[in-house]
Formats: sequence, structure tokens, C-alpha cells
Amino acid sequence: MNRPIIEISNLVKRYEMGNEEVYALRDVSLTIGSNEYVAIMGPSGSGKSTLMNMLGCLDTPTAGTYFFNGQDVREMNDDDLAEIRNREIGFVFQTFNLLPRATALQNVELPLVYSGVGKAERQDRAKQALEKVQLSDRMTHRPNELSGGQRQRVAIARAIVTAPSIILADEPTGNLDTKTGHDIMALFRSLWEGGNTVILVTHEEDVARHARRIIRLRDGRIESDKVNPDA
Amino acid sequence: MRKTSEIGESLRIAVESLRMNLLRSILTTAGIVVGVVLVVVMGWTIGGLDAVWEQTISIIGKDMIYIDKWSWSGGGNWRLMEARKDITLRQAELLSQRMESAESVMPVVRLWSGSVVRGNTSLRCGILGTTTEYGKTSSAELNSGRFFTSIEDYQSAKVVILGEGVAKSLFSGEDPIGQSIKIISEPYRIIGVIKKRGFLFMDFVDNQVVIPLESFRSTVGMFERSVSIGIKTGSERMVDIVRTEAIGHMRSIRNVEPGQDNDFSINEMQAFDEQVKNIRIGIWTVGMGLTILAFVVGSIGIMNIMYVSVTERTREIGIRKAIGARRGSILLQFLIESSFLCVIGALIAFPIAQLIVGAARFVAVDLLDQAWASVVSPVIPVDLLMIAISVSVVIGLLAGLLPALKASRLDPVEALRYEQ
Repeated sequence: MNRPIIEISNLVKRYEMGNEEVYALRDVSLTIGSNEYVAIMGPSGSGKSTLMNMLGCLDTPTAGTYFFNGQDVREMNDDDLAEIRNREIGFVFQTFNLLPRATALQNVELPLVYSGVGKAERQDRAKQALEKVQLSDRMTHRPNELSGGQRQRVAIARAIVTAPSIILADEPTGNLDTKTGHDIMALFRSLWEGGNTVILVTHEEDVARHARRIIRLRDGRIESDKVNPDA
Repeated sequence: MRKTSEIGESLRIAVESLRMNLLRSILTTAGIVVGVVLVVVMGWTIGGLDAVWEQTISIIGKDMIYIDKWSWSGGGNWRLMEARKDITLRQAELLSQRMESAESVMPVVRLWSGSVVRGNTSLRCGILGTTTEYGKTSSAELNSGRFFTSIEDYQSAKVVILGEGVAKSLFSGEDPIGQSIKIISEPYRIIGVIKKRGFLFMDFVDNQVVIPLESFRSTVGMFERSVSIGIKTGSERMVDIVRTEAIGHMRSIRNVEPGQDNDFSINEMQAFDEQVKNIRIGIWTVGMGLTILAFVVGSIGIMNIMYVSVTERTREIGIRKAIGARRGSILLQFLIESSFLCVIGALIAFPIAQLIVGAARFVAVDLLDQAWASVVSPVIPVDLLMIAISVSVVIGLLAGLLPALKASRLDPVEALRYEQ
């Protein structure tokens, strides 16, 4: 395996729901290396969203350890986590999550705003990212002037603009038709081929089939972790 | 570098959200608008009061000290002053002989409720008798003609210098110089007219006539009239020295025993400073009360709308956090937005305040013919606008703090899940 980026061992996430304690993750251990293409699968309630939030440093575990690029995530405060998300992680969401009032270019620039890149360089890099997703001709359009597939491409451009260590996609084709979904998956594939680390979270076998490694979750535990024979 | 790009982004968001909710935003700033209008108008009023006071003080002059039986400022024990012996012309003469630090010393006697007659017209006015030195004080700056000489005084010449108000009332438009009026049935020749001096509560100075002391003695009489002694110090710097010397001489002239209080009052224009200060404090207190009220109401409005804004944009905050906005970045974004709102309020308030100020001055000067008001600035001074802008920014920061903190502390996972 390549250099590990994500090293998780005995991860537990517990929520308090009133007086009840709910375990979203129980004892999950996992290592993901650089330039892997991983799908995390499982039915709803299996804990895959919680795991994605953990991996994406949006949330912190109750117990266990999580090292990201060798850094202990449990030791980090909110601002450290924000910085990791900003520099190391590119998110792609099912609902795109673009800022509705900003243009495609401004949306892609946004992560760079928070890492303090100057305006000229910011626009330059955002344009390059939009070129990679073949949207150079839609830079000044706002999300409501774009199709679903185009919106997801803008979101992917935003995810890759900081050259992150991992791209973390949560049901990226969930809101798209089959044809457009295929195009988006092809885009992820080319990003992976270009040297990126891609982690998909999905409940669709069709989507997971694109990945090289499939991790299945059930009831907060890893059920299986296999190399994808179809890929 | 990071901060600059974030501030730029925050300003862009602030402008955008203002544009999206233009009417809502403007209505929200209403309280701030009222507060800023109050601050600016109050500041202008106090500035105007100072300007008017500056003018008023120059009527008598900062270099003048008057020694009287009574205190001008109304302070002190009224019964005690009533019981004082009158100051006599003889005492004034003695003081004049003994004073070394003063430029000149002059006795002034007044008949407050006198009257002058021209033809069939009679006018109630004050009659003031004094010596030629009075002509060199700022109370007697002339519009035309001349002051009387010491020889005219000595000869008890029947010459008179009119206050501007008297000249206007009796000789509207005509040149009064050389004409004659009657003072208590004695004809007097007009030799000069004093410039308009009256401001505010000092209007009476325009409504009097000045005649030589000896003429006053023969026409009006000195019976039971306490003399006021004017001392011209020559410069403001000399006031303290001259005052001390004058008090010493007066105590000895009037046989005041050591340890006893002065049986006379020292009157200076500075004495009114205290009263003007009280008026200023009065304006401040009332004005600040109203202003604070308006700002409290205003900031509650701003706070409320910022809470609405935070709720409406929960998902946006989630997105920003997911892609790397720190707590501070979100805090900054909302603080900039709330202070931006307040600055907009201030910018709306400025023309309104200018209208009020302009109208107030127009009514006073042009409609009510209160010439004294013309020394008040017709426009709001720039530094006042700067203060108002700064205050608005501070109000914005304070009002936006709690909503901004709420936004900055949102959990990104929760925020991303939020549905409108």
C-alpha cells in the first residue's frame, strides 16, 4: 500500500439521544493510503454518514484514534479541524452545497479565500479547476443557471482547487439522472487516475462498483473490506 | 493576508445580502438612523451654543472686570448683597487712582427703565452714564460716529451714543448722527451708534443709550444709585493679577476688616461659563438619553435581523465551515455584516440631520430674524460625521456579537443537514 493518509483504530462514536445512548460507530479500524479509490457502503443507519463526517474532520470521535497524515485528529480544536478541512479534504455532497448567490468561479474560489490566497492567484487556480471539470464556459453562471450535472462539476472543482489529500464524496450521484451520474463517475475516475485519493460514500452498488476497494458497514461495524473484483 | 481575503469576502457577502433584502435591511436600520440623527443634531447644537457664547462673551470682552454691589450670575446670598452699601462714585475714583496693573478704570451708572423720545415717538430703553474710557471697551465698538471725549464729559455736554436697537427703532433707515433726541425732557445730540452687540440673553445691550457721566448726573441724578466699576485689564492674561489688586484696594476703600467677606461682587464674563456649561450638560443629558434609547432600540432591531440572517443561512455557514472557514472567519463575516448595516443607517441619517440643521438655522435666522443664530454653522462639521460613523460601527459590532457568536459556534454537521 502507498503512504497511509487515514489511519483509524477502534473508533467509537456515541450520541446521547435523550436518556438513551446511541452508538453510530462501534470499534471501526481502517487504513486508507494515498491514491486509493475507496467506496464506503452500507444501508441507512449503518453509520456510513457518521464515518464520513469523521473522515472529513467535520466531527470528532468519542473513543479510538484517528491519524490524518500522521496528525492526531482527536487533539485538534475547531480551528485546527477547519484548517485540515480547508487544505487536506475536498468535499463533494449529494446536494452539491454550492452558495446560491455566488457564481461558479466564486464558489470554486471560496476554499482559497479561507486559506488566504490572494485574489489574482485565487481566480487563476479556480479557473484551472473549472477547466479540469470542463466548465470554463460557465464561470460567471450562478448555480440556479446550471444543470444538476454542471452544479456537481462546480462542486468537484471546488473540492480539487486546494489540491487536497483526499476527495470525499457523499452520494455524489444521488441527485442526478443515470447518464449524468455516469459522467460524474468518469470524472472521479480520471481524478483518481491523475493521482488523487478518492473516497465515495454510497448505498448504490452501481456507484460503488467504480471503486477499487469496497468497505461495507453494518450497525456501526465494518462487515467487509475487499478489493473490488469488477474494477 | 488571510484576513484581507476574508474581509474582502465578508464585505462582498454583506453588500450582497443587503441587496437581496433591501427593504428589510433599511427598515431594520430605522433605530440607528434616529440615533445618528440625534447624535449629529445634538453635536451641532452644542457646537452652535459654543459659537454663540463666544460671540456673547465678546460683547463685554474677556478683558473686562466689573465690580458691583450685585453678582451677575445670580450666585451668592441675595439678602446679604441687598444689605451691602452702595458703591459710590468716590470709591470708583479712589480705585482708579490706586490701580496700577489695569489699563483703565471707569465708573458706570445705569437707569434700567429709562426712555428716550424723538418727536412723538417714545422708546423705553436703558440709560448708561460713564466716562470716555468706556469708549475703548468692546461694549462700545461703533458702527458710525464717535464716542464722547473727556472734555465733553467734564462739561456735561448733552451728547449721546445710541445702541443699535435704539437707532433702528427711532431712525429706521435714516442716519441718526447729528440728529437730536430727548432724554427725560432734555435734548441730546446723537454723535455715534454702537454696533449690534446683542446675542441671546444679552439683547438689552443694543437697547440702551450711552451718555457722559456728568450729563447723567445732571439729567438723571445719582440719588441712591450704586455705581458699577468697569476695569479694563488690557489683556486676558492680566485678568488674575488685576482682579487680585482690585479686590485689595476695594477692601481697603470700603473698610472691610481682615477675615470678613468682600462686601462687593467681582463680575466677569467668565462667570457665565458655568451657566453655559450647565446648558451644555443639559443638552447632553437630554440628547444622550434620547440617543441611547434610539440606539438600544436600533441595536435590538439589528440583533434581531442578524439572528434571522444566521438562521436563514445556517446551511451556508455549514458549507463554509466544511470547506475550511474557521470560527473567526464566520464571526468576522457576521460582524462585518451587522456593522455594515449600521453604517448604511448612518449614511441614511446624514442627509436627514443636515435637513433638520439647515431648517433650524433657516427658521431662526431668516424667519424669526434672530441674527445671533447666524454664527452657528449651516452644515454639519465633518468630525461630527466621523464620530457618528464610528459610533454606528461600534453599535453594529455590539448588536451583531451574539448572533455572530451563534453562527460561529454552529456544528458543521448539523448546519449542513439544516433544511430551509
